Amino acid sequence: MFTIMLAEHTFCIENRYDYVKKLCEEYIIPDCNAQKIFITDSQLDYEKKLTIGFPNAYLESLAVYRRICELLVDENIILFHGSAVVVDGLAYIFTAASGTGKSTHTSLWRAYLGERATMLNDDKPLLKITSSGVTAYGTPWNGKHRLGSNISAPLKAVCILERSEKNHIKKINKKAAYPMLLQQVYRPKSPVKMAATLNMIDQLAKHSSLYRLCCNMEIDAAELAYNYMKGEAK
Amino acid sequence: MKLKDGFITHESDGEHILVSAGDTQFNGLVRSNKTAAFIVEQLKSGTTAESIVTALLSKYDVSKEVAHKDVERILDTLRSIGAIDE
Repeated sequence: MFTIMLAEHTFCIENRYDYVKKLCEEYIIPDCNAQKIFITDSQLDYEKKLTIGFPNAYLESLAVYRRICELLVDENIILFHGSAVVVDGLAYIFTAASGTGKSTHTSLWRAYLGERATMLNDDKPLLKITSSGVTAYGTPWNGKHRLGSNISAPLKAVCILERSEKNHIKKINKKAAYPMLLQQVYRPKSPVKMAATLNMIDQLAKHSSLYRLCCNMEIDAAELAYNYMKGEAK
Repeated sequence: MKLKDGFITHESDGEHILVSAGDTQFNGLVRSNKTAAFIVEQLKSGTTAESIVTALLSKYDVSKEVAHKDVERILDTLRSIGAIDE
């Protein structure tokens, strides 16, 4: 059993396997009276159906995050699938279907910007949505390369990635971004929480700048994307 | 027939959309025009294709034939994503 703090909320995880504890290492805090998370056999079976061929220890970690995300919806926090990097104190999230090159692109940002760029989370950051803006939080679930940090930053932009031989970027409106935003957000099982999630997606679109970047895997792509997005007023 | 549990509608900047919560197969969204939105709203309580056509005719100035076609077409789309409990 151990306690973690994620996006300023605490959870006491009653784990069966060591894997999830190891995964959460950087987020562990002294035990306190926190919301308990215990994964049942049926929750483990549910993960087994979605993610075939992985050991129970790994599936437990997925089930834990799913449970946490269901709870966090009530705190105006959503999981958003993407690679998030922080530059000069502001977070930029790149999102796309799996295999498009989100992680590759943020690795180009690190190559281009050096120490100014810090990975927040390479796969599944949390976003806290308030009426005054959006804050991105690192989490232990940070992708297969395990890139991320236990930090938070105001979200500046969400950028949808597409592959292309030539690099170009443009600002897009909410309507154009909407299908991708909905695809990349965690969809809670309960319709009530899903409705809350949709309201948060609307706020996310309102409070952050939205872009579509068509790019290759050269460092020029990072140079273009960063210089275009940093200049835009929020 | 009725809209399946787990499918919810949302109004966003005047646009009517239909999405599903996490426990369903469908993970896209349906963007509805006025007619489609009206039909989806009718499906929130148990109804029949005939009742939807009647409701459509009382609300919009269209011929019975067009209303029929619209309803069947939209129901087919909704069926294809598993959004209808027959």
